[in-house]
Amino acid sequence: MDTNGADTKISNTYLPEKPELSPTLISDTELLSEFSHHVQNIARINNGSFGCCPKSVISAQQRWQLEFLKQPDDFYFNRLKDEILKSRLVIRDLSVAWEFLQGKFNKGDAAVMLQYAYGAVKKSLEAYVTRAGGYVIEARFPFPVNSDSEIVSEFRKAVERGKINGRKVRLAIIDHVTSIPCVLIPVKELIKICREEGVDKVFVDGAQGIGCVDVDMKEIGADFYTGTLNKWVFCPPGAAFLYCRKSNEIDDLHHLVVSHEYGNGLAIESAWIGTRDYSAQLVVPQALEFVNRFEGGIEGIKKRNHKAVVEMGEMLAKAWGTHLGSAPEMCSSMIMVGLPASLGISSDSIALKLSTHLRNNFSVDVRIYYREPGDGVVNPVTGYARISHHAYNKPDEYHKFRDAVNQLVNDKFTCALLA
Amino acid sequence: MSSCHHNHHNMDINGCDAKISDTHLPKKPKLSPTLISDTELESEFSHHVQNIARINNGSFGCCPKSVMSAQQKWQLEFLKQPDDFYFNRLKEGILQSRLVIKDLVNADHVDEISIVDNATTAAAIVLQSVAWDFIQGKFNKGDAAVMLHYAYGAVKKSVEAYVTRAGGYVIEVELPFPVNSVSEIISEFRRALERGKVNGRKVRLAVIDHVTSMPSVVIPVKELVKICREEGVDKVFVDAAHGIGCVDVDMKEIGADFYTSNLHKWFFCPPAAAFLYCRKSSEIDDLHHPVVSHEYGNGLAIESAWIGTRDYSAQLVIPKVLEFVNRFEGGIEGIKKRNHKVVVEMGEMLAKAWGTHLGSPPEMCSSMIMVGLPASLGISSDSVALKLRTHLRNSFSVEVPIYYRAPGDGVVNPVTGYARISHQVYNKPDDYYRFRDAINQLVNDKFTCELLS
Repeated sequence: MDTNGADTKISNTYLPEKPELSPTLISDTELLSEFSHHVQNIARINNGSFGCCPKSVISAQQRWQLEFLKQPDDFYFNRLKDEILKSRLVIRDLSVAWEFLQGKFNKGDAAVMLQYAYGAVKKSLEAYVTRAGGYVIEARFPFPVNSDSEIVSEFRKAVERGKINGRKVRLAIIDHVTSIPCVLIPVKELIKICREEGVDKVFVDGAQGIGCVDVDMKEIGADFYTGTLNKWVFCPPGAAFLYCRKSNEIDDLHHLVVSHEYGNGLAIESAWIGTRDYSAQLVVPQALEFVNRFEGGIEGIKKRNHKAVVEMGEMLAKAWGTHLGSAPEMCSSMIMVGLPASLGISSDSIALKLSTHLRNNFSVDVRIYYREPGDGVVNPVTGYARISHHAYNKPDEYHKFRDAVNQLVNDKFTCALLA
Repeated sequence: MSSCHHNHHNMDINGCDAKISDTHLPKKPKLSPTLISDTELESEFSHHVQNIARINNGSFGCCPKSVMSAQQKWQLEFLKQPDDFYFNRLKEGILQSRLVIKDLVNADHVDEISIVDNATTAAAIVLQSVAWDFIQGKFNKGDAAVMLHYAYGAVKKSVEAYVTRAGGYVIEVELPFPVNSVSEIISEFRRALERGKVNGRKVRLAVIDHVTSMPSVVIPVKELVKICREEGVDKVFVDAAHGIGCVDVDMKEIGADFYTSNLHKWFFCPPAAAFLYCRKSSEIDDLHHPVVSHEYGNGLAIESAWIGTRDYSAQLVIPKVLEFVNRFEGGIEGIKKRNHKVVVEMGEMLAKAWGTHLGSPPEMCSSMIMVGLPASLGISSDSVALKLRTHLRNSFSVEVPIYYRAPGDGVVNPVTGYARISHQVYNKPDDYYRFRDAINQLVNDKFTCELLS
C-alpha cells in the first residue's frame, strides 16, 4: 500500500473486462424506452444542470440497493470494497485550508480562480481558503468570448497579480467547462502557464467533464481533477470522481467526513464514510455498459452531442437574430445562445424568473444567463440561453424553444411583466 | 409535544423560515386504526435473506418494503424532471421531514433540526467547527476535549483529524466493562473532567455517546450533561447513533448543545439519514456542512438541504417512515419498549444457557444487550473476535458482532468475548435459539478460536 492508498496489487489482478462496444447498437425504440420516465412534452434542453439516468441504470442501481438491505453485514464485509474498486478502475481507464492554518503556506498567499467559476465552488473557496487567510484572485475574461487567447492572456495577468509583493500562488482552480456562461476553457494551456509561473497546485473542476469534453489526465496535466458521473455519463445522482496525480510529495488529502479508514488514503477513505447508499458509485460499470451500446461509445456520444448542439444553437441564433456566446470550438455539449434584446432581461433574478416562465408556460427547461451590458452599447443582448444536447434530445425540443421565444417577442413581452 | 411558538416574521440567522413552519405543520399521523398484522410484517421484511439469524440490527439497521417503495418514488420524481423538482419540491420535502423529527425529539424549533447522511457526518460538522475555534484562537492550544473510551471508532478518528490536529488535547473517560451501575460511569466522567481542567486548561467540548456501540451500554447522558454544566464545559455533543427508536430521545430533557441520531438504524429509514440537533442559543454557532454549496451561510439546516446534486430521497421519505412506525401498537414508543423487553429476555436466556453473564444490568441496555461468551472459545484479540463473527456467519448463518475485552490481571478463566445481540420488529425467538445452539455446538466440539486461520 503506498501512501496514497493505492492497492496496486489488486489493480493488477482485478482489471475489469473492458466492455466491448455492444455488437447490436441501441435502437431508437430502446432509446425512447430508456428515457420514457422523463416527463413527456417538455423540451428538456438542460442536461447540463442535473444530467439524466436511463432506466437500465436505475434498475441496476435498485439491485445494488437491495443487495445491501438484504444482508448488510455480508455486503459491507465481503462486497462493498471490491465493487467500489471496480468502479474506480472503470474511471481510471476512461481521468488547501490546513496548509494555510498549519503554516505551510503564508497568510496572504494567493489562490486563483476564474470569474465564471461555479457559485458553490466560489463559496467553498471563501469557506476554506479566505477563512484560513488565503487571498483569492479572480481571472476575469470577456463574455461573449471569441478565442482561447482572450482567456489565456487574462489568466496570465491574474497569476501575475497573485505574485505581487512576494506572494506565492498556492492553488489555481480552473473550470474545464464553465457552468454559466458555458465556455470550454483551454485548460491544458492554462496549466502550462501555471507550471511556468510556479503555481503550487492546479485543480481542474470538470463538473461538465467526462462525456462532455475530452478528459485525459496525462494530456491535461493537472494535480487534481474532478468530474461528475451523473451529468453526462448516465450515472444516477450523485457520483463523481476526484483524480489526484501521484507525486513525490504526500498530498495530505482527506475526506471531510472522517471514519474508520482515516489515514489510509483518500480513495479508501471515500469508499467508507459511514452507512449510506453507495449504489450510485457501484453502478458505474453498468453505466459504462449502457454507454457502449451507442456507436462510438462515449466518444461517439460526445461528438454527436457537440455537432447537434452547435446546429441547434446556430438555428436559434438565426431565428432570433442574435448570436452565439462563443465560437463553436469553444463549446462542448452545451452552447450559449443570445436571446432577443426586446425581452429586457435585466438581472440575475429576472433571468431566473424567465426560466420559470418558460417552464410553466411553454414546457421548456433551459437555463438563462444574465450578462450586464457594456457601456454605451445600443440595445444590447443581456440574456443568453444555455442549451444542452444529450442522447435523448430531439430537434423538436429546440424548435419548441425557438417558437416560445418568438411568441414572446411577437406578443411584445418584456420581463418587466414577470411578478 | 411543543410546537413552534415563536412568531418572528424575518429570516433569522439560523435560516428559520418561521412563517412557513407555522402554516405548514405536518398532519400528525394518527396511530393506524388497523395495526400491522404478522403477515404484513413478514412481507415488509421478506427481502431479508431468509434462514439467517439476523440479530445485529445495531450495525446497519433495516428498511421495510413500503419505505423502499416510497423512496423509489422520490428518486423517480427527481429523474423525471429534475429542474422542476429542484426549484419546486425539494426544499419543501426536506422541511416536512425536519418537522416530523422536531416533534419526535421534542425540539423547540425546526431551525434546530438539520438532516445529514449519518452520525459520522454530524460528528465531522461539530468537530470541524471546534477545529476552527482552536485555529482562529478562540480556544487556546492545549484546551481539552473529553470523550468516552468506548466512543465509536470513526468518531475517535474524527476527533483526531479535527481536534488533535488543530491543537486540542483529547482526554478519554475510561469506563469499566462489564458495568454494574450508572454511578461507575458518572464518577469516571467527573474524574476525566477534572483532568481536563488541570493547569488552567478549559474543557471546550465533551463528546458523549448516548448508547455506546461496542461494548453497548446506555450512558446516563442527562446526568453527564448536568455535570458538564456544573464544571463549565463549553459545549456538549451527544452522539446517539443508536438514538431514535432505541432510547428515549428528548432534546429538552437531555439538554445537550448538539445531538445526533441515525434514522436508518432504529427508525426504518433507508440508508442513509440522520438528524443533527443544534440547540438555539444567544451565541451564533458557526456550524457549517463541510461540503460547501450555494446555501453557505444560510444556517446548517438550509446548507444541509443542498450540498450539490445527489440523492436526497432517504431524507425525503421520513414522513412515510413515521406512517410505517404508527402501524405498530404504541408507535415508536411501543416498538422501543417491546424491543428492550425481548432483548433482555433473550440475553438472559443465552447467558443462562452458556453459563455466562450480561455485560450490564438490563436498565443500562436499550434494544441491544451484551452477553458473555463461554471462556473456552478462547477469544483472544479484536481480530480473533472478528474472525469468530465471520465463522458464525459462514458456518452457522448467525449475524452478530463480537466484542473482545482484555481480561483483568489475575482473573481465572475470564470471559473475554461478548456478543452484542439486537432485537428489532422482524426478529423471532428462533433467531436467538439458533445462536444459542451454535455456541453450544462450538463448546461441545471443544472449538477454540485458535482454529480460525
